[in-house]
Amino acid sequence: METEPLGVIARLMHELGKLPGIGPKSAERLTHHLLQAPKQQVFSLAEALRAIKEQIHPCEVCCHPTEHVRCTICADPQRDDSLVCVVEQPRDVIALERSGSYRGLYHVLHGRLSPLDGIGPEQLTIDRLMARVRTGRIQEVIMATNPTTEGDGTSLYLSTLLGPLGVKVTRLARGLPTGSVLEFANSQMLADALEGRRVL
Amino acid sequence: MERTEAIVLRTTDWSESSRIVTLWTRELGKVRALAKGGRRLKSMFDSALDLLTVCGIVLLRKSSGSLDLLTEAQVSRRFPRLRDDLGALYAGYYVAELLADWTQEYDPHPGLYDEAVATLAELGHESGLRVMRFEMVFLEELGYRPALERCAGCQGPLNEQRLAFGATTGGVLCVACQGRQREHRPLSVEAWQLLQALRGSGDEWRRTWASAVRNEVRQHLGGYVTTLRGRPPRLLPYLGG
Repeated sequence: METEPLGVIARLMHELGKLPGIGPKSAERLTHHLLQAPKQQVFSLAEALRAIKEQIHPCEVCCHPTEHVRCTICADPQRDDSLVCVVEQPRDVIALERSGSYRGLYHVLHGRLSPLDGIGPEQLTIDRLMARVRTGRIQEVIMATNPTTEGDGTSLYLSTLLGPLGVKVTRLARGLPTGSVLEFANSQMLADALEGRRVL
Repeated sequence: MERTEAIVLRTTDWSESSRIVTLWTRELGKVRALAKGGRRLKSMFDSALDLLTVCGIVLLRKSSGSLDLLTEAQVSRRFPRLRDDLGALYAGYYVAELLADWTQEYDPHPGLYDEAVATLAELGHESGLRVMRFEMVFLEELGYRPALERCAGCQGPLNEQRLAFGATTGGVLCVACQGRQREHRPLSVEAWQLLQALRGSGDEWRRTWASAVRNEVRQHLGGYVTTLRGRPPRLLPYLGG
C-alpha cells in the first residue's frame, strides 16, 4: 500500500531520465508536472508515445520513418527520382530538407559501418539501397555520410558496390562555411577547401 | 596536467555533448579520457577526435577510479589514404583494435607508438605486408615474440625440409616436436624467411614476396594472435596478405 505509488513515480522518473538531455532533476520536475497535469493531457502524451512505436515504421523505399507505406518525400511526384542522397540517420534527412536546396530522394542507412564495434553491412539498409539502384531509374547516388573516418569508410564501401552498376557516385563537398573568415578556419577545413576548389 | 601526442583508437558517445576516447600515446601508453563537449562541432577538440587521427592532447589525470579529463586536442596528422582505400582503412582499424584491446592503461611503449604512426602513414601501399610488420613489432613489445630461429618446443635446431608453425607452442617446430604437438600447420621455407624478415631490424621485409607466401604468413600470424587472445580479432577477416 505505502510502496506502490512511490514505485510508480520512481519508475516514471527513471524512464524520463533515460531521455537525452534529461538529468535526475529534470526527470523529477517533469514527473511532478505530469502528476499535476489534467488527466486528458497525460493520456494524450501516453497515446502519442505508444503511437510512435506502433504506427511508425521504415518507408518501404528509403527506410526513413513514416506512418504510411511510403514517406512523404518518396510519395511526392515532384521529387527527382533519378537522384538519391544516402545519409546515416533520419535526423540527417531533416537537416538536408531544412536547407531547401535538394529535390531528390533519400536513403537512410540507420547507422554507419563500424567494424571495431561489430557493425557490418548486414546491420544497415545497404541491401535495400542496392535493390533500388538495380531498378535502373537512379542516375546519381550522393554520399552524405558524416565526414568522419567511419562515415567516409561507409561511403567508400558503398562506392565499391555501386561502381560496377554504372551509377554516378558523388560525395558532399566539404571545406569553408559561407560567411566564415579564413583566419579562424581550422587546418582540416582549409585543406578540404583547397582540395575541393573549383574554377570560377 | 600532461601534454603529449596520441592516436585516436576508439570513441564512444557518453552524453549528448561528451564522449569517451581511447588514445594511444607515446609517453603514457593507452589512456581513456572523458572529452566534455567532444561531440559538439565547435569545441576545444575541433575534429581531432576522429578515429586514427594523430593529435596533440592536454590531459588532466584524475585520481584512481575516475576517468581522466581531456581538455584539449589538436590535429597533428591525418592519413588521407585511409579515406580512399578500403583495404588500408581496415588495416588501420586492425592496428587500432590490437592497441585498444591488448595493451594496459599507462603502460608506455614509445617504440610501438612510432611503429603505429609509421604503419598508418604507409598503409595504402602493400598494406598487408605493412600490417604484418606492425604485428611482429607489437608481439615483440608485449612479450609474445614467436620463436623462429630454434624449435619453440625443445629449443633444438630446425630442419628446413619440414617446418611447421605451432600457434599454441609459440613458434616454429622441429620434426620431433611436430610429432609431439597436435596443434601445428605446415610452414614453407619462404614463409619462414618472411617471418624472420618481418622481425628483423632492417628493411628485408619490404622486398617483393609472392602473394602465396604473404597469404601463408597472414594465416600463421592470424592464428597465433587468435590463440594468444582466445578469440579472433574482429578485423582479422578483413585483412589481406
